Amino acid sequence: MSNHKTFRKGGIHPVSNKNASRIIELLPLPMKAILPLSQHIGTPAKAVVAKGQAVVRGQVVAENASFVSSGIHSPITGTVTAIEPMVNPQGKPGMAIVITASHEQHEADEIARCEYWAKLVPGESDRTLSEKTSQDEIRSAIAAAGIVGLGGAAFPTRVKLSLKPEQHPEILIINGCECEPYLMCDDSLMCTYPGRVVEGVELMMKAAGIDRAVIAVEDNKPEAAKALVDALDTAYDIKVEILKTKYPQGGEKQLIEAVTGRRVGSGELPISVGVVVHNVATAFAVWQAVATSMPLIERVVTVTGDIATEQRRNYIAAIGTPLSEFPFTLPDEARVVVGGPMMGKTATRLDAPVTKGTSGITVLGQTRRRPVQACIRCGACMDACPMGLEPYLLSTYGRMQMWAEARSAMVADCLECGACSYSCPSSRPLLDYIRLAKQRIRK
Amino acid sequence: MTQLVFSPSPHVHTPRTTRGVMLNVLLALLPATACALWYFGLPALEVLLLSVGTCVFTEWFVTKYMLGRPNTIGDFSAIVTGVLLALCLPSSLPWWATVAGGMVSIGIAKMAFGGLGCNIFNPALVGRVFLLISFPVAMTSWPLPDPGFGDADGVTGPTVLELLKHGADSESFLRGEMLVGYMGGSMGEVFSLGLLAGFLYLWVMRIVKIHIPLAMILGLAVVDVFAGFPIGLDIISGGFLLGAFFMATDYVSSPMTARGMWVYGILIGIITAVIRRWGAYPEGVSFAILLMNGATPLINRYMRPRRFSPKRKEVGA
Repeated sequence: MSNHKTFRKGGIHPVSNKNASRIIELLPLPMKAILPLSQHIGTPAKAVVAKGQAVVRGQVVAENASFVSSGIHSPITGTVTAIEPMVNPQGKPGMAIVITASHEQHEADEIARCEYWAKLVPGESDRTLSEKTSQDEIRSAIAAAGIVGLGGAAFPTRVKLSLKPEQHPEILIINGCECEPYLMCDDSLMCTYPGRVVEGVELMMKAAGIDRAVIAVEDNKPEAAKALVDALDTAYDIKVEILKTKYPQGGEKQLIEAVTGRRVGSGELPISVGVVVHNVATAFAVWQAVATSMPLIERVVTVTGDIATEQRRNYIAAIGTPLSEFPFTLPDEARVVVGGPMMGKTATRLDAPVTKGTSGITVLGQTRRRPVQACIRCGACMDACPMGLEPYLLSTYGRMQMWAEARSAMVADCLECGACSYSCPSSRPLLDYIRLAKQRIRK
Repeated sequence: MTQLVFSPSPHVHTPRTTRGVMLNVLLALLPATACALWYFGLPALEVLLLSVGTCVFTEWFVTKYMLGRPNTIGDFSAIVTGVLLALCLPSSLPWWATVAGGMVSIGIAKMAFGGLGCNIFNPALVGRVFLLISFPVAMTSWPLPDPGFGDADGVTGPTVLELLKHGADSESFLRGEMLVGYMGGSMGEVFSLGLLAGFLYLWVMRIVKIHIPLAMILGLAVVDVFAGFPIGLDIISGGFLLGAFFMATDYVSSPMTARGMWVYGILIGIITAVIRRWGAYPEGVSFAILLMNGATPLINRYMRPRRFSPKRKEVGA
């Protein structure tokens, strides 16, 4: 029995299916990049290029439109061919900048990119980086690079790190749990670039003014945990905490409880208990931004699911790459899930792009839900709920349009992890109705 | 061209199904059922088949001709009700009484309330209590076990609880024989060890929780201590274990939270012991469970789960 810590309330153990290759490969740059202006939580970015304008790889094409917003950079050298309304992979409409690569520059871009990544692997860590760089320099590098949370929620990192001393930040938790089944992008990143991740954490500690950091990794990723431990520098108070695998450990409130034992109140932010949580991939992106001045134009994307073994891989892909550019063969009928199977959304079209928050593409061949049966009040959903809610009751409130009751039964606490719907033996669409109730009471 | 299918998350689901749960309950009832057939012979088989047959037929008939709904017998819950009803009947019960019990269980206690998941009271127990009140003589003539698949109908005898009610010395009963079911009683209640084995299976498979049986034993023990009655004998006599393991733990009619289960179970235990010691009937498990079934919605309302978030808002509508 493992005595690793985990969060106490609820949680489930779905089959992990983390069976993609952990070796990260470069996906060729696309000939056409589609950059939605809203890839993050907050105000959509404001385009600063015009149709027909030439852009180079790494150039800013859209900038912050408000405090909670994030700039966007071009991943390829080419021409802006359109700024048009489009539907993102999840079916959400919005404006997007379309950039078409110039044939002459495309190969040069690819070569420069291969050289960039080749240098990262063997490179000696520059352990003095976070000493040499001032807090303001780190913060402005993060802002300039357009970094957002890469775990999926895509909250602008600049905003989350702009802490004031009176908020009393004590612990920076780096989320390397990757509790979603199938996905392995964080795992492969930690295994491949552990030193860079740790340096990114050191930079984030300085940027946030926090002395203590904990990198949390679930115990189904021992290689990643070991690689990180080996990369730690004793000059910093950074600890690798191995947690007992349980979904949804990556949920912010669950992770904080697992690591510190503190519980974040209803409707409150982690800083209320002195904690800030960032993803490991975000830490890596921070290191890239500070050490190599590289904006966030590429990320690791897992391609996995019910596809051939050799197609289940992890790629470094340019943000804006259409899903159809990834080498995988779909079954005749498939759900193409952007993200993991628990919280990901099914893609409505394959020409939609990878965005900053895209951690993976999970292809699921089994497409039919089981028929819905009557609730037998077995309580499985309550046992699964990590927030201590009553999903069976909340979904009934949603179905009966009893919004006031849903609100007082704390529907707003739901993190939409899907553990309730997962665990229902009667296949009831619990989360669907709970989402409806959440949306209604938000108005 | 691939057909893309859209659906809201989550996109994966537990392998557990309602039918699977019911099959596991049936599996857990196997030792007690097999023992019933071994001890009480062909009449027991007749009661079992009639009970299950009536329950399944009633559910099919009601959904098809009275509700006009899709047929739900595929979830196997009617089979579970049928087996449970049979297990709390005497093997000597006339066939028409068994049929009537099955029709009341499913037709009135379950389908009239809206079918699986909507019933307030445990259907099998409603059937049993209906029969007990309507046909008290037939329902209190207990054939004595005749091991070896024999015809036990010839000899009937009182249950341990009936003897106790009439002043028998509690020290005069052989606990060892009682544990393996060698005593008068309903088909399924006599084999305590088989019931325990079945329950442990469900518990290990995480299909039921242990709170309710433990709470019931606790409640019973509290009253027994006051009444100066041997607790162990009380637990293994009558339908207490059948009720604790398989009736009171019924998902639909029992509370949802652990705290609610404790309250529910303790009260069932207390009521059972009070009826047994001071009531008019020698046995009180069925009444106690049905009473607390009626209190379950109230318990669910006040025993909400502990929320994750420390800062509690108004809970309860």
